[in-house]
Amino acid sequence: MDAGILLYVLSLLTVGGIYAIFALGLNVQWGFAGLFNVGIAGFAAIGAYTYALLTTAGSSYHLGGFGLPLPLGMAAGMVTSAFVAGIIGIVCIRLRSDYLAIATIGIAEIIKLIFKNETEITNGPRGINRIPRFWEHFSEERFYSSWPLSWFGTPESWEGFFDHLPNWWWQPFFAGTVLIVMLVIYVMLERARTSPWGRMMTAIRENEPAARASGKNVTARRIEAFVIGAAIMGLAGALFAQHLRLIEPTNTFDPSKVTFLVWVMLILGGSGNNRGAMLGAFLIWTIWSASELLITGVIDVLIYTFDGVDMGPLRTRAGFLRMMLIGLLLQVILQKFPRGILPEVRPASPKGIKTKSAG
Amino acid sequence: MRRKFFTTLAAMLCSSAVIADVNVGNPMAITGPIPDLVAPMVKAIDLAVKHVNEQGGMFAAGESYNMVRADTGCDPAGAVDAVTKLINVSSVSALVGPVCSGGTIAQAQSVSIPAGVVTLSVSASSKDITDMEDGTDLVFRTAASDAYQGVALANLALAKGLKDIAVSYANDDYNAAIAEVFTKAYTSAGGTITANEAHEPDKASYRSEVATLGNTSDNLALFAYYGSSGITIMRNALETGAFASFLGADGMLSDEVIEQIGAENMGGVTFTTSASDDSSVGYAAWAAVTEGSGIENIGGPFVPNSYDAAFMMALAIEKSGSDNRADIAEALRSISKAPGTVILPGEWKKAKAILANGGDINYEGGAGPHDFDKNGDVMGFFSQSSVVNGAWSATLIK
Repeated sequence: MDAGILLYVLSLLTVGGIYAIFALGLNVQWGFAGLFNVGIAGFAAIGAYTYALLTTAGSSYHLGGFGLPLPLGMAAGMVTSAFVAGIIGIVCIRLRSDYLAIATIGIAEIIKLIFKNETEITNGPRGINRIPRFWEHFSEERFYSSWPLSWFGTPESWEGFFDHLPNWWWQPFFAGTVLIVMLVIYVMLERARTSPWGRMMTAIRENEPAARASGKNVTARRIEAFVIGAAIMGLAGALFAQHLRLIEPTNTFDPSKVTFLVWVMLILGGSGNNRGAMLGAFLIWTIWSASELLITGVIDVLIYTFDGVDMGPLRTRAGFLRMMLIGLLLQVILQKFPRGILPEVRPASPKGIKTKSAG
Repeated sequence: MRRKFFTTLAAMLCSSAVIADVNVGNPMAITGPIPDLVAPMVKAIDLAVKHVNEQGGMFAAGESYNMVRADTGCDPAGAVDAVTKLINVSSVSALVGPVCSGGTIAQAQSVSIPAGVVTLSVSASSKDITDMEDGTDLVFRTAASDAYQGVALANLALAKGLKDIAVSYANDDYNAAIAEVFTKAYTSAGGTITANEAHEPDKASYRSEVATLGNTSDNLALFAYYGSSGITIMRNALETGAFASFLGADGMLSDEVIEQIGAENMGGVTFTTSASDDSSVGYAAWAAVTEGSGIENIGGPFVPNSYDAAFMMALAIEKSGSDNRADIAEALRSISKAPGTVILPGEWKKAKAILANGGDINYEGGAGPHDFDKNGDVMGFFSQSSVVNGAWSATLIK
């Protein structure tokens, strides 16, 4: 039981970490540069599908299954997502924020429909399964019988080794990998934020004509932020595909569960604040997932307390009740923290720090 | 009352091991796109649990058989999350469910197969599930693969003398799979597919799709859910007179279709569904136990399959002698096939007595005999339904 709860906490950290990477990507676009991207699900799908097609074993259902090494697949997911974002950026980035929102919603739907209808490549609505997951994939024969594992032992010895591990051995490693990726992105974005580049982004976001007047290439910088954010989302999409091991276009990349959720995470955590983005992601995902346990528990207690009363209807409606309560809770938190739990802190300029220490 | 509330709360928080129960996880698509289909399935599962508990419960001690329900939303991410909680937090012994094929595959590959937990899906019919596992024997289902229904429908079309047919399917995993199987079976048996088009569900009008398809043939094979696009397409087709006869699969079989289209317009309509052989002893017993249970459409899509899954899981756990995860798969195969005394729906007491004496049993359910093949699949029965006197009338396809 206790070990089970630890494993559940690991899964919360894994999924929370993946959402945190999404939220960090969105923070570059919205928090730094003020780009209203409502097409997160589209970039997630590009990352996920690129990863899945490149790394799965050969299959008759979809294109390839190229069986490439996993890190290569993740890098490709980033590059493809960035490439698509670049093209979209060149066309759409001049649009004002609300028009950009409409454009990105449309683009995300187009991407989804392409994945849904290009059946020869993506297996259409039935999706791609058996997507290899980092660490766990080493216990698959096609990985332990090839390099790098084949340098250290024969396939037979590896098979014996993996048989002796408890069946959850990969969970801490996978959760750790997700968290390390998240931290690396966080450190890089934090450096970017406090650098002159970050201050320039804030200037563009807050007062575009002024930034343009002081000689900044606003359009190029905005495309830059859009592409960087999309690359991070592509990476998160690749990790999401590993977590699920099956992706299909309809329900997996449903905007209400990807785009909407990531936006809530960023707004609630504090847009413009990288730590806030991560905090929001872990908090919202925990509420989203654990609320089911809580509600089932409460209903159980009610049933035991009021023996005679028929609680059947309550139990069958628990799923809907949960969705409503999550919505209500988000309302309350957002009302209480209108600028997010960790509001944006502007980095002091080097000159400002000097004046302060001198004074 | 308040005191009782808090003592129970405290007891439940302190330890969940106070009550020695058998807990089985039941991930169902309670929210999501198909709540109407799932509601009677949930009732059927609850009925099976009631039968087990009323007739002596589990094992010699009469432990309670519990279904720990969770919501998948018919979505891979939701299913993975729900099953993670069931397996790790609720510590369930096995899973009855999920409903949707995508969720079933995702949760199996991501969570339940790595954790060594048996999945017995009640309605996942995708043929991808057949060849999903390698080296494990953990995924079973009580619903027949689409591969069977698609073939049955193709044979039906040719038997009705339809030499050519246009195909329109809702662009989702279930309908795309069944359309693919149908197309292959129909073509290889000598029929001609004149057009094969996916349509996006939930549109207000399908006139242009219907017009395109209607130019090619007088017959339409329609794979959709009645709620999302099926009724609209039929209405558009009848308005324009594009098609004379319609064939379809179980997502279309609903009384709502008759209400919306009108029985007088449905002369050329035949829909198949995964059905039960209602001449079988299993179905007779299922019909008998559901009387007064509040389940309205006892032959409804996957309703008897849901009861059978919940009942067979109890039998398997009883057979294995403990709620140990590792022994359930083997026991599930043993209680479902010959040799052994035939057990019908509702006969928990009889089964329990035989198992207690070390005997063998063979469950024959309302939905079929459920003899699992090596992939954990079952053979299905299908029925064809057409409208007679303003109501659906079903006959079994042998």
